[in-house]
Amino acid sequence: MADVVVGLTTSDHAGDAGQLAKAVRAAFDRQPESIRWHLLVANLVPDATAVDSVRAELGTSAEVSAVNVGHPAHHSLVMPYHGLPGRARAVHAIFAEARARQAAACLVLDARSATGSPETIARLLEPLRTRAVQFVAPAYPRHPFNGALVHAIVYPLFRALYGARLRWPIGTDYSASADFMDAVLPHPIWDSERGQLGIDLWLCTTAVCGGFRVGEALVERREFFERHELSLSTALAQIVGWLFEDMGTRAAVWQRIRGSTDVVRVGEALRLPPAPKIDPAELVESFRRGHRELQEVWAEVLPPLATLQWRRLASAPFETFRVEDALWARTLYDFAMGHRLRVIARDHLLRSLVPLYLAWLASFVRETRHAPTEEGERRIEQLCLVFETEKPYLISQWRWPERFKPVKFRR
Amino acid sequence: MWEQVDAILRRAMIRTAENVANFLPGIVGLMLILLVAVVVAVVSRRLVLRALLGMHFDQRAERWSLGAPGDWQAAGGLSALIARVVMWAILVMGLLAGFSALDATLPEAFARTIFRYIPNLLAALAILVLGTMLSRFLARSVLIGAVNLNWPYAHLWSTGVRWLVLIVSWVMALEHLEIGRRTLPLAFGILFGGVVFAAALAVGLGFKDVVSRSIERKWRDNRESADKLSHV
Repeated sequence: MADVVVGLTTSDHAGDAGQLAKAVRAAFDRQPESIRWHLLVANLVPDATAVDSVRAELGTSAEVSAVNVGHPAHHSLVMPYHGLPGRARAVHAIFAEARARQAAACLVLDARSATGSPETIARLLEPLRTRAVQFVAPAYPRHPFNGALVHAIVYPLFRALYGARLRWPIGTDYSASADFMDAVLPHPIWDSERGQLGIDLWLCTTAVCGGFRVGEALVERREFFERHELSLSTALAQIVGWLFEDMGTRAAVWQRIRGSTDVVRVGEALRLPPAPKIDPAELVESFRRGHRELQEVWAEVLPPLATLQWRRLASAPFETFRVEDALWARTLYDFAMGHRLRVIARDHLLRSLVPLYLAWLASFVRETRHAPTEEGERRIEQLCLVFETEKPYLISQWRWPERFKPVKFRR
Repeated sequence: MWEQVDAILRRAMIRTAENVANFLPGIVGLMLILLVAVVVAVVSRRLVLRALLGMHFDQRAERWSLGAPGDWQAAGGLSALIARVVMWAILVMGLLAGFSALDATLPEAFARTIFRYIPNLLAALAILVLGTMLSRFLARSVLIGAVNLNWPYAHLWSTGVRWLVLIVSWVMALEHLEIGRRTLPLAFGILFGGVVFAAALAVGLGFKDVVSRSIERKWRDNRESADKLSHV
């Protein structure tokens, strides 16, 4: 029996797991009332070093157990963008352990990204302890130039579709209540190949669409770089492909939603890390090269007006280079339709989005690099509002696909 | 003597008449078979064309990388082309079947050879269709991949891959058709080997600096990983 089960997902991060376990103990020690907790180390590779380092740190102060999560060989063939093949099975093992121990809540932490800060771990627990919410997603305070794929695509699209202002729907640290776990555990996604790629996003979407009370906690995150870090195009194809596929299965839900609402937010804004080095001129050059070579592919997806706007942008000087929010929002909606109607192979479609995304990033960096960090946040908020305003364009095409008329089909 | 000439002529007439009488049913049979073949061919053409247009085959073919509608415009569209091929195939088969009705040795042997050739023809056709689809798919994969890797001349790489796959599939198809069985693979081998050798030399000499710069950049990136941009 335990009140809370804490699950650490690890692969070969033994040292990180030990540090994190120490922070977890400190977080529980600071709680106003005594909470019984159990720590489960979910190894994605059969390795005992992580659990040994956790036991060495905690001693007898907490119950610790470990589970080695195997996964079918074919799941390893495609490396997920988060770098952990079999992650869905690990999260499932943690949830199942929590329910077996009749825990009222469960906390999932990624040993690579979570910092050893007891305050931020406690933030993930607080809304569950007060029973204010049933699922707490993380909000990582990162510089707006880092994680730009989330700022440019995932957050605005998720927010416009499902109406919840969850800043980081693909975060790997979160907490869930018992009723939420009971609702998701029987789903077949855990063992599926698709699940291993986007289980974190699926949990967030399920929480929002399933009518659960959802919150968000400001959680510090370490910037980490995996040895096997994927190329941008592969990561983009996986994440955006997942979002688009999920759109297809939840069309009945998101078509009814207009606007967006705030979620319960815990924690105060943390100090943002410094900006990474980034040269917008290089990004613009990548976009221009993409524009020269990929017009034939984009003609399968983009309508004439958008094609013209992108063409103008390709010949615009760097000093005035700016991707309009409405153009970016409509372009993503057009790609979502192209994905749905399979106008070309889906992988080709998603990967051909990379130069357009780089154009958005270049425009964003060019506009905000000399401004305070808050300006970047303000621009992202502005972008999200445009995504919401343009949503009827997506709904109209989704309901009447004959209205989807890219350049190619107008001949 | 005139009696003998008369007898010879009569016998010749009778033989000719007998031959004509023997040959005529064959001709009638040939005509009937041809007539039926023409009717079946025309009806099949219309049915196939209607079915293909009904299922928007031209658009689907484009998605399956079998060419854009514009590519087949000269033939009146891919659906029309397939319908015409079906019609002519039925007509040719009707003609060959008709030859066998004549009971003549040479046309029958010819018909038998052609019928024996049909599986090879179908296999060659399948190879060509699959080769075309594969070449377009791979060409697009290379194009997008090269652009995302910031490679120069992405279109050139893509076109190269497309033609390579197309040429391989044409050589395979011609081999199945038993045309130039020895010459073609040999010529292809020499050409392909030459291209690979030339490309290896060009890459080796031309990319020497690029490779060293790339290694240098990689080493620098590893040292400066703290500043590295993370998109996720």
